[in-house]
Amino acid sequence: MYRMIILKLAAIITGLLLSAPVYAMDNESLLKQVDRNLNPESYESYRKLINIEPDGRKKEYTLFSVKKGQDKTVALFIAPASENGRSTLRLGDNMWLYIPNVGKPIRITSLQSVVGGVFNNADILQLDYAAEYNVEKIEESGNEYLLHLKAKTKAVAYDKLRLWADSTRKLPTKIECLTETDMLIKTLYFKEVKDFGGGIVRPSVIETDSPLYKDYKSVMIYAKIKKREFKDEVFTLTFMPNMESLR
Amino acid sequence: MVRYITIFLTACLPIFFIAPYVVIPSYAEEYSFDLSEIEKKPYHLGGHMELKPYIFMSDKDARLYKLRYYNRNEGDIIDEYHAELQLEGGIEKGITRLFVRTNTDYNKSHIEESQRIAIYEGYISLKPSSSVTIDIGKKTFKWGKGYAWNPAAFIDRPKNPDDPELSLEGFIAASGDYIKSFDGQLKTVSFTPVLIPVYEQINDSFGEINRLNLAGRLYLLLYDTDIDFNILTGGSKTPRYGMDFSRNIATNFETHGEFAFIDNFKKRIVDRDGGFSESEYDAVSYLIGIRYLTEKDTTYIAEYYQNEADFTSGEMRDYFLFIDKGYNSYISSGSDAILKRASSITEGSYGRINPMKDYLYLRISQKEPFDILYFTPSITGLLNITDRSYSLIPEFLYTAVTNLELRLRAAIASGERLSEYGEKPSDYRIEFRARYYF
Repeated sequence: MYRMIILKLAAIITGLLLSAPVYAMDNESLLKQVDRNLNPESYESYRKLINIEPDGRKKEYTLFSVKKGQDKTVALFIAPASENGRSTLRLGDNMWLYIPNVGKPIRITSLQSVVGGVFNNADILQLDYAAEYNVEKIEESGNEYLLHLKAKTKAVAYDKLRLWADSTRKLPTKIECLTETDMLIKTLYFKEVKDFGGGIVRPSVIETDSPLYKDYKSVMIYAKIKKREFKDEVFTLTFMPNMESLR
Repeated sequence: MVRYITIFLTACLPIFFIAPYVVIPSYAEEYSFDLSEIEKKPYHLGGHMELKPYIFMSDKDARLYKLRYYNRNEGDIIDEYHAELQLEGGIEKGITRLFVRTNTDYNKSHIEESQRIAIYEGYISLKPSSSVTIDIGKKTFKWGKGYAWNPAAFIDRPKNPDDPELSLEGFIAASGDYIKSFDGQLKTVSFTPVLIPVYEQINDSFGEINRLNLAGRLYLLLYDTDIDFNILTGGSKTPRYGMDFSRNIATNFETHGEFAFIDNFKKRIVDRDGGFSESEYDAVSYLIGIRYLTEKDTTYIAEYYQNEADFTSGEMRDYFLFIDKGYNSYISSGSDAILKRASSITEGSYGRINPMKDYLYLRISQKEPFDILYFTPSITGLLNITDRSYSLIPEFLYTAVTNLELRLRAAIASGERLSEYGEKPSDYRIEFRARYYF
C-alpha cells in the first residue's frame, strides 16, 4: 500500500515538474512578452478598419497610429474624406476625440465607438495588455498558452480576457473579451502573421465578431509598423490638431 | 399648407428612407490594404457641400414674426433653401504649414436671395518642435468644454445650441502653444497666449475697435482631469476670467463644467417705450454638464447654463412690448421707424442665440436602433427655465454611404406669449440636410 502511495506521489510530482516551465515563467513577464512581440514599445503604424454588415456591405476607415510606452497612443483618421483629420488620443484611462471642423477635443469613453461596428474605442486605442490586466492563471495545451487576465481597474473596457497565444512565437491567436459575469462581449482573431521588417513579426489582420452584433464583423489590417520614438508632448490635447505633422 | 408639406416630404423623405436599402457592391473576402492610400502628399484638398431645404410654419401673432414680416404677407408656410460649399486646403513644407478653409453660403427665401463667401480660417503654422507651435492668421480657437454653450470661450463666436457641431468663423490672431509633459499626477501643462487686433476691417465684430487684445489659456491634465484657466483683456471687451474642466468618472460617464467672470459688464436694455438704459456690473456665467452612455448605446448629454450677463424675463418682455408698440404704430400710421429701431437692437443683443439667463439642455441619441446600422435617431430639448418656454428637436441621421450624411429634423418652439420660444416667428420647422464630403 505504501508503495502505491509513493508511486502516486511520484506521479503527481513528475506531473508538476513537467508543467513547471509554464508556472516557473513569471506570469506577468509572459504577458509582457506577448505585448512586445505584438508591437515595439514605441512605434508608428497604419491600419485599415473594415466594418462588414451581414449583407456583405463594407465601410472602411484608414488610420495612422503612434504609441509610446505602456499607456500613450494616438490615432489619426486619414480616410474617408468625412473622417479625415479626426484624431483620438488615449493617455491611460483618459480618451479624447478631436474633430477638426467642429471644436475642441471632447472626452470619449472606452465603450463608445468612433467608427461604429464591432470595434470600440478601447480596441482602436489598444494599450499594452500588461498595462491594463493582471494574469490570474496560465494554462498550457498543445502548442498554445491560455492566459486568464483580469482588469486592474474598473475603468478598463473588458473586465476579463481569455488570451490564447502561440507558445513558440508567443503571439496571440485569439482573445475573448468578457464581462465580470463571464458574458462574452466579443472575440478577436489574430491572423496572417507577417514580417514587417525591423524584427517585427506579428499578425497583420485582426478580425472580430460579437454575439451582441450578430452576423456583423469588423477587421483591422496593419501596414508599415515600425519602431519610432516620440516626445511625450505628442500625446496631449494641445497637440491633437497637429497630428498630421507626424506622418 | 398641406400641399407645401406634401411637396417637401415628397422631395426629401424618399432619399432618406430609400438610402438604407441601396445595395453597395460587395467586395471579395480577401482584405487588401493598398499602400498608395496612405502615401502622404505635401498638399491637402477637401471639404463638403450641402443642400438644405426647410419649411417653417409661421406664428403670425409672434412679435418676432411681426418684426420681420410686418410689411408683407408670407402665408402660413414659408419655404427656404440653403446651400453651402466648404473648401479646405493645406500645404506643408518642413516646419511650416499653410491652411485655408472657406465657406460659401447661398440662401433663397421669399424675401431675398443672398450669397456670402467667407474665409473661416486661413493661417500659417510654424512647428519648430513637438512642444511649440506658432500660428498667425484667421483661426477658430474652440475653447471651453460645454457641448451646447461655452461661457469660457472668450475668443470664439457663440455656438448655436440647436446645431452645436456647425463649424464657426474664426478671428485674425497671432497665437502660440507651449506643451510640457510630466510623469505623475500632473501629466500635461500647456500654455496658449493669443494676440487679437481689433481695428476697422480687422475683427471689428469682436468688440470695440482700435484695441490690441491679449488672451491666454493655461491647460493642465491633473489627476485625470482636464482643467483650463482662461483670460481675456485688452479693451475690446471688458476683462474676463474663466476656467473649465472635464473628467471621465467611469468608462461611460463624463462630467464637465465651465465658469466665467466678466468684470464691469455693460448691459444696455430697452424699455417698452423705446427708452434705453445702461447698467454696469460684474457678471458670472457658468455651465455644468454630463455625457452618459448606456449599455444599449443610448447617449445622454445634459447641461445647465446660467449667464448673469443676459436678460431677465422682465427685460425680454419689455423688448417684445417695444416691438408691439412699433407694430401698432406701423398699422396706425404706416411708419416703420420704431420697428426699424427694434430691428437694430435685435441684431445687436436681443436677437442673439439664447439671450436669457437660465437654460437646460438635454440630448438623447440612440445608436443603430432595431439593428439599422449607421442610423442614429435623437431628440434634443432646450428649456428656458426663466420663462418656461422650450424648443424640441427630433432628428434622424443616416451615414451608411461613405462620405454622405443625410439628416432629417424638425424643430418645435413652444411657450406663452412674451416668452423666448413663444415669440419665435415660427412654431414648427422641418429641415432636410444632405451633406457630401470630398
